This record gives sequence, structure tokens and C-alpha cells, in this order.
Amino acid sequence: MPDPLFAHGVGLAVVVIVLVKVVVAFTVLLVSTMLMVWFERKVISDMQNRIGPNRAGPFGLLQSLADGTKLFFKEDLLPERADRFVFRLAPLLAVVPAFLVFAVIPVGGIVTIAHHTVELQVADPPMGILFLLAMSSVAVYGTMLAGWSSGSKYPLLGAVRASAQMISYEAALGLTVVTVVLEAHSLSTRSIIASQAQHFWQWNVIRLGFVPFAIFLIASTAEMNRPPFDLAEGESELGGGFNTEYSSLRFALFYLAEFMNTITMSALAVTLFFGGPDGPGFHFLRWLWPILWFLGKTTAFCYVQVWIRASLPRMRYDQLMDLGWKRLIPLALGWLLVVAGVNLSAAWGFAIIGGGVLAAGLLYQSLSVGRRRRETVTQPPAARALAGVPLRPVARPGGTGG
Amino acid sequence: MSAPAVLAAATIPDAVTFALAAVICVVGALGVVLMRNPVHSALALVMTLFGVAVLFVEQDAQFLAAVQVIVYTGAIVVLFLFVIMLLGVDRRERVLADTFRGQRVVALVLGLMVLAEVVLLARTRWTTGAHSVAGPLDGPGSNVAKLGRSIFTTYLIPFEVTSALLVVAVVGAVVLARRPGLGEPSGEAPDEADGASPVGPGASGPGAEAADAEAADAAGAGTAESTAGAGAAAGAGAAVTR
Amino acid sequence: MGSLDSYLPILILFVLALAFAGLSIFASKLLAPKRPTSAKEAPYECGIVPTEGPPQRFPVRFYLIAMIFVIFDIEIIFLFPWAVVYNELGRFGLVEIVVFAAAVFFSFLYLLANGALDWGPVKRIRPVTAAAQRTTSSTVRRVGAGSGEAA
Repeated sequence: MPDPLFAHGVGLAVVVIVLVKVVVAFTVLLVSTMLMVWFERKVISDMQNRIGPNRAGPFGLLQSLADGTKLFFKEDLLPERADRFVFRLAPLLAVVPAFLVFAVIPVGGIVTIAHHTVELQVADPPMGILFLLAMSSVAVYGTMLAGWSSGSKYPLLGAVRASAQMISYEAALGLTVVTVVLEAHSLSTRSIIASQAQHFWQWNVIRLGFVPFAIFLIASTAEMNRPPFDLAEGESELGGGFNTEYSSLRFALFYLAEFMNTITMSALAVTLFFGGPDGPGFHFLRWLWPILWFLGKTTAFCYVQVWIRASLPRMRYDQLMDLGWKRLIPLALGWLLVVAGVNLSAAWGFAIIGGGVLAAGLLYQSLSVGRRRRETVTQPPAARALAGVPLRPVARPGGTGG
Repeated sequence: MSAPAVLAAATIPDAVTFALAAVICVVGALGVVLMRNPVHSALALVMTLFGVAVLFVEQDAQFLAAVQVIVYTGAIVVLFLFVIMLLGVDRRERVLADTFRGQRVVALVLGLMVLAEVVLLARTRWTTGAHSVAGPLDGPGSNVAKLGRSIFTTYLIPFEVTSALLVVAVVGAVVLARRPGLGEPSGEAPDEADGASPVGPGASGPGAEAADAEAADAAGAGTAESTAGAGAAAGAGAAVTR
Repeated sequence: MGSLDSYLPILILFVLALAFAGLSIFASKLLAPKRPTSAKEAPYECGIVPTEGPPQRFPVRFYLIAMIFVIFDIEIIFLFPWAVVYNELGRFGLVEIVVFAAAVFFSFLYLLANGALDWGPVKRIRPVTAAAQRTTSSTVRRVGAGSGEAA
């Protein structure tokens, strides 16, 4: 269903409403990003028996504002080997998609302002959730170009790692979103929350089984390069990762984008799996309750993100890629088919589950074939013969190009 | 509808959007050709793809617009950038040197032929059948629902054939990236298989050079193939829109 | 064509975000000092003077991942219109997507069996004979007391 705000054309009142929505969303997003930085630091220090920021403002609330202001006064360096144009462009490519992604997330119910039906979300395009995937695929550019344009070792290594990681987990992320669309029959985010309204057992986290939500949570964490998937900025090996060479405000923009994405991904998890602004309301201030529910759930998710960061150690790169490709993608695909089968009838559901077990067997078999091939490559001929592998002529190393 | 009727039906916001998107497309396309640095060319290509996505939205082809950004910008140009960026960071293409003898003349002739073809198709009635059968999809629901109904009923065979094409693309990618004689799909020696190997152009011997060239070939060929797959996908979509 | 209207808020937000980023970079340019030195502009390598440029070539695996991602991305994109109309297609829809998913899955199995998605160093299995000679006395050199060379 198209956005009802534009059902009667675009008049002055509509433009004013749109402007107000956009400005409010923009401001709230900026302020909540600053609060998120404070929240993360405070919660992590609590978990690590520290006090955390406590000087600027009450409870150190203004610490991120102080840090941000400080960065305005810092020298902006351009490394000598940098590609000047791309180096300046990359922070914009990181921060603009981070703002835009939030546009499609429903933060409240539907209200009537001056005879116009207004959905409490910045925009409700018909391709809703695909817009979000599109923006997250653009966000790869910010990371990749920042690392490349610096003309330096660590940023390049960080950027290559990060972009390979982001595209790998995008596939698993996309598959869980398809599972949600299967229930909503629409790509619009408003329809997705409408399909989960009324009762909490209709929330997708319960209705789809817990698995798609778990995959989404893992994949979105990896997509944001947050710990335990923060190999892009592994401090111990890469300095600071893709943004090592950035200073002053350009660095601040990357930082802003990172935390804004944390908030947006939490809000997205709430939208896709926890009914968005759905929850019991009361008869006074009807419009307020959905917003409060949304804020409450999103804050809870932000806490979960911080909790994950505080408790899990960083993964190794091969573990990361194995998890994404060899476990999450087949699991997400299989679960999607099971949900589709169960939606049709129980018999189809069981048939698909049977097929899934067979597929898992094949998967295990091909994994072990792959492992055996890898292991026999470096064995001397004698050991190969012992292992029962037929002897093959071994190519001379380096002599492959003819 | 004839061209003047289309122009007359357009509202001012539509016209402005079209003009902006067209400018973005054309500037991006010129940038792809004229930029010295291949990475800048790839970014100009992204710009063109965005312009096309906006044009799709204007045509109410919402799904195609999203696919345009997700597949072309998010996957294919990322692959291009991987290949360009990682095969030589500081390498500037020598655009003035001809790779093939007489390529400029051939390019000019081919370009004029394409231009002539476009003019002939648009301006004459030499083609058979109707001039254009483009029009909105019919049926209830959103653009995506209509598209889905077409793909999964009327155009089911092309859809399933696409899956076969994608399987071929997977096999091609693996075969091309594999070192002949070894089961290992990799262009590097097993010794340096852990992460990135900082091999400078001076440090690599003839053997490494050959392996690298092979890797580049594999990447390039795979690109062409996957692009073909994507083209087929987009083609299927376009066929449905028509 | 009313579809453009619903993108108006996104356009405004885009302009606003761009203006915010641009203005803050501009403000920082006015406020911040500009005293570059060659040491500041050199690539950051944790204080060590850089001797060679960034790596020029990367393992083919990265391209392979990007290539495979293109293919999987196209496959996933096809699932979206299917999911939207699934309740109308019913059993027919399930069968056709199972056929499609089977094709995807078999190409995936091919990738796994060929080790295309494997990362990290190749696992070496040392021949048993070599392992027998490698004891603590042969691999660890003791410095000082007890060693035959030192005496």
C-alpha cells in the first residue's frame, strides 16, 4: 500500500509535514547517536568494573558532545600517498547511507494531523526493505574506498577484510529478510509491522521460529563490523583498520556512521522480528504508546549489542568466513524453505524438513571432501599412497603460467 | 504513446527528476570513459547506475530500481573495484597507448554503427511489429507483486533456466580461479595462503608474475561471466516489465 | 506517477545529511590548525618509517568471494518477488522455489567440495617418519648447563 500521506497529491500542508518529520528524525538520530556512544562506554565500563565517563555533565552524559567538539579543532591531515578526491569522498559515503537507512523504519503508529493520515516514519516507499538492503550495500563503499584511498598498508588490509566480510554476511542477512517478507506478503516496512500486530505471539521472532532472528542478529553485527566481527579495525594488528589515516572531523563522521548503524540495526531487528511499535496501549495519549514501545525495544537491543561487544572475543578471519558462508547461508536457506512448507501445510513442512536433513548430509559430505582435498595437497606421495589417494603428477610450483 | 504525448503527460516534478537523473547518467558515463584513474572510472559507473535507478523509480519499476542498486552497485561494481584496487594501487592506465593496432578506427566505426542503429530504430518504420510495447504491468497489488506473479507463472521457464546459468557461473568462477594440477582454488603458493601477501612489483619473480597474471585473468573472465548472469537476470526482469 | 512522492522525504533527508556532513567539514576547516609536516603526512605505521608501499596484490580468494557473492546476490534477489506472492502461488510456488533452491544448493556444494570458501593456511599433515625424529632434544637448544657444545 502506498504512503497515505501522498494519496491526495502534494500540497503545502503535506510538504510541511514531511519537512517536520525529516527534521525531527534527523535531530533525534543525531542526539541518540551521541547518547549511544555514552551508553556503550558506560555499560562496558560497568561490565569491566570501571566507572567510565563521569566528568562532562551529569553521569558524563555530555562526554560524546565534548569529544565531538574537540574533533572540530583538530588538524585534518591528508596523507601524501592518498587519492585526494576519494579520500574526501569516503566519509560522506559512510555517513549518508547511515542517515538514509533510518528513513524506512516505522517508529510509531498512524496518526491524523490536519486531516492528513501520517505514518510515523520518515518515508514508506513500496520497496521499503529493499531500500534498506540497497543502502547497506552502498555502505560497503565508504569502508572500501576509505581504506584504498589512504595509500597506506593497514587501512588497505582493513578495508579488504571489511568489504569481503560485509558482502559475505549480506547474503545471510538477505535470506532472513526474505523469510520475514514471506509472512508479510509485502516489502513495505509498514506492512511488515502490520503483519505482526495485535498479539506478541504473532511477532516474527516467535512465528518464524527463533532461527531467522538469531541469524539476523549475527549477520547484522558482522555487517556493521562490530565486535566480535571487528577484524576491519583489529587494533592489535592493523593500527586502526580502514580509518587509520583519518583525523579530525572526517574521522568523526566514520565514528558517527558506525554508531548510527548500531542504532538503526537495533531498530531494524525490532521492526522485522519484534513487532516494531506494537504493544499494549492505554486510552489517553494513544499516539505516544507505540513510540514508547519502539524506543524501549530498540534500547533493549542496543544494550544487547553492547553486551555482545563486552563479552565475546574477536574471531579469526577464517572462522568468520566459515561461519558466514558454511553455516549461516545454508541454514538461512533451509529455514526459509521450511517456513514456506509449513505455511502451506504440515505435510509439506515435514517433507521439506526431510529434504533438509538429506541436504545437511550432503553438505557435511562435501565439506569433508573439500577438507580432504586441501590436506592431501601438501602431502608427499608416500603419505598419499598410505591415505589411499591415487597418485597424480604434482605441478612444479611457479611453473603454472606456461 | 508517442513521444510528444509522453512529454505532455509529464508533470513538472517528473520532468525535473528525469532531467537530473539523465544528467547524472550522462556525466557518469562520460566519467567512466574519460577518467584517468580506473577507480575514479568505477565510481563514475556507480553514479550512472544510480541515475538509472532513479529513472526506474520514476517509471514505477520499484523492484528493478532496488535490484539496480543492490546487484549492480552493491555486488558487481564492488567486484570491479576489488579487481582494480587490489591488482595495482598506484597503477595509472596509459590511456593514450593503443592495446590493439587500429582500435581507434574500429571503435569509431562500431560506435557510428550503434548510433545509426539507434536512429534507425527510433526514427524509421523499418522494424517489424509495434514500435514499443512498453507499458505498466497489470494486475492487483504493488509493483513487486505484479512482477512476482509474472516471473513465477508466465515466465517460469526463463527463471529456472537462470538458475542453471548461475550454476554455470559458479563452476566457471571456481575453475578459473583454480591452479591447474592442484585441487587448491588459489593463485598463490600454499606457503603464503594466510591472508594478504605483501608482494611488491619488484619482489615478484617471473613465476609469481605468471601466477598473478593468471589470477587477473581468472578474475576478469569470472567478472564477465557473472555480469552476463546479472544481465540475464535484469533482462528477465525487463522482459516482464514490457 | 505518484510513486515519486514517497521518495520526497528520502530526498530531503539525503540533502540534510549531505549538508550536515559538508558544513561540519567546512567548519572544521575554519577552526582547525593547518600545519602539515612530512612526518604527519607519511603513512601511519605505528612510528616505524615506511620502507615500501602498500601491498599490490591480494590472494585470489578475495576476488573469488566477490564473484560468488554476485551470483548469490542475484539468487537472493529473485526470492523477494517470490516471497511477496507466495500465498497466491501455493503449492506450485513451493515446488518451483525448491527446484531453484536445489540448483543453488548444488552449486554451493560444488564450491565447498572444491574448497573455494576455505580460508586460512593449508593444513599440513607431516609424514610420520619425520615426526619421530622431532623430539625435545632435537628441536630445543638448551643454553648453558648440560649441553654438550657448551662444555
